[in-house]
Amino acid sequence: MDKKKAVDDTEPGPAPSRPVDRFGFIKPEQGTSPDGISKSKSIHERERESGYWLTVHYFTNLTADIFLGNHRDGRRIKKWRKMIGVGGSDWKHYVRRNPHVVKRRIRKGIPDCLRGLVWQLISGSRDLLLMNPGVYETLVIYETSASELEIIRDISRTFPSHIFFQQRHGPGQRSLYNVLKAYSVYDRDVGYVQGMGFLAGLLLLYMSEEDAFWLLVALLKGAVHAPMEGLYQAGLPLVQQYLYQFEKLVLEQMPQLGQHFIEEMINPSMYASQWFITVFSYSFPFHLTLRVWDVFLYEGIKVVFQVGLALLRFCHDELVKLPFEKLLHAFRNFPEEATDPDVLLPIAFTFKVSGRLEELEKEYQKKLEGSNASTSTKRSHPLKLKTMSRIGSRALSNFTNSEK
Amino acid sequence: MAGTRRAEEEYDYLFKVVLIGDSGVGKSNLLSRFTRNEFCLESKSTIGVEFATRTLHVEGKIIKAQIWDTAGQERYRAITSAYYRGALGAVLVYDVSKPTTFDNISRWLKELRDHADANIRIMLVGNKTDLKHLRAVATDDAHKFAEAEGLSYIETSALEATNVEEAFQLILGDIYRAISKKPVASDEGGAGAAGGVKEGKTINVAAGDANSEKKQCCST
Repeated sequence: MDKKKAVDDTEPGPAPSRPVDRFGFIKPEQGTSPDGISKSKSIHERERESGYWLTVHYFTNLTADIFLGNHRDGRRIKKWRKMIGVGGSDWKHYVRRNPHVVKRRIRKGIPDCLRGLVWQLISGSRDLLLMNPGVYETLVIYETSASELEIIRDISRTFPSHIFFQQRHGPGQRSLYNVLKAYSVYDRDVGYVQGMGFLAGLLLLYMSEEDAFWLLVALLKGAVHAPMEGLYQAGLPLVQQYLYQFEKLVLEQMPQLGQHFIEEMINPSMYASQWFITVFSYSFPFHLTLRVWDVFLYEGIKVVFQVGLALLRFCHDELVKLPFEKLLHAFRNFPEEATDPDVLLPIAFTFKVSGRLEELEKEYQKKLEGSNASTSTKRSHPLKLKTMSRIGSRALSNFTNSEK
Repeated sequence: MAGTRRAEEEYDYLFKVVLIGDSGVGKSNLLSRFTRNEFCLESKSTIGVEFATRTLHVEGKIIKAQIWDTAGQERYRAITSAYYRGALGAVLVYDVSKPTTFDNISRWLKELRDHADANIRIMLVGNKTDLKHLRAVATDDAHKFAEAEGLSYIETSALEATNVEEAFQLILGDIYRAISKKPVASDEGGAGAAGGVKEGKTINVAAGDANSEKKQCCST
């Protein structure tokens, strides 16, 4: 009764044998609804720019899209196409001239058919890719990583309910392995850490392996925003910092709830570590994850704080009444309304946290210095892209040397 | 050490227990088998910590087990080691089909010595006995090791639900005996992150909070 079909038994095929939702996640056994078809994208866009897995597994269902594209979405996609230009050629120009329009539109959600491309443009990963031709291939093919076994162990435990990643040694699992292995070679200090797979897996649903790899690099090394590699470095320093900042923000923004947490001995590491480590890609409804990522890639980590605060605000009146154990249960079982992006994100954006986050970061660093002489030499500003390309070539020369 | 008594849930003792061991040995499935009688082949790797409880009869007492399931990867100890504090018991899990997970047991013991209370009760668990043809750690070896280190020892299969109940009975009974031998100061050590035994404080978790609803085990 409680045993699930073994992963190993899942056969590849043109159409999935179990019903999947519009994102490719296998639906819970009951309650299959007929809207398993996405309404906003055309099959051609899908094939060319995103939905990498779709072209492999999901072709048949999507042909219906062509007939279902509704008017409003059509207009929205048209606007976006104009903003981006062919293959992203107009993007930078448009962003420079209309940053607020871009921000507003991204907050409303990037059309799913353009998501993969836009993510690469706003994260700076497209530039990295162009500056480092051949690097990814070399990392995948010629280098070995100390983390290989660890990566393999987790491959089938990353988005296990998504059809792209279900088939043992199938294209999804292979891509995921390659991206993670390449990264573990690219930055041997970080190597592979659990949680990275969810980032990589999410990206692979919208772009090719190489694109996903460079987007991971852009995030962790900080192409546009502050680097996030501290989430995964020894000691998880950035996780600790984010949790510190988050706890303070909760106390400031929702004093009653913050106080209640303290009384109940609730510490943010009990519920929020995975929010930060996987940027909400671990256990939230996928449509929410995508909308958070749209904003995250453009505006930075601050949106994770905002969404976290919004979840607590939405459930505030309930949470303040709950004792310790029920609180922990509630953190893993937010009501469906709370995870609706159109409800949650507007609440999230009411929290103005940028300035406070900076202050709290300084406060935290000072506290660290006080308690420990050897503090992390954390760089909180994004790398210039030129440096990034040097990093790429350094990684390359490092291992070509080691080959000799 | 008086227990909390309420209409909706009664217990004599509340024991905080941590589940530790290498990544992929089956900690989360042991926990879900014990607390919800569920097993999920398609489970995700644990990120950070997870929490579950169950109340059961042990040696004539009603004991509530408050169990923290931790991410197994070494890097995560930066977060998870805080949860050892105040824990009365540790369930140290390895995979009988993976010798390295057994070899690492001594490192986990050191980890406990460094971060947990000195008198924490520790149980060694060899999980995945269902993988009979792949067994690589002999019961005898593990038994001898456990004896030498003063740990209780049991082999389990979370998948087949073999010995899971017994394992938790064993560790909880062990804690109970240790605790009832000597009087324990109330609210021992402030209990760090989550508290060992919360006294004089009402903890009203509705009975079967996690048990009542049979939920899909692998959503998203």
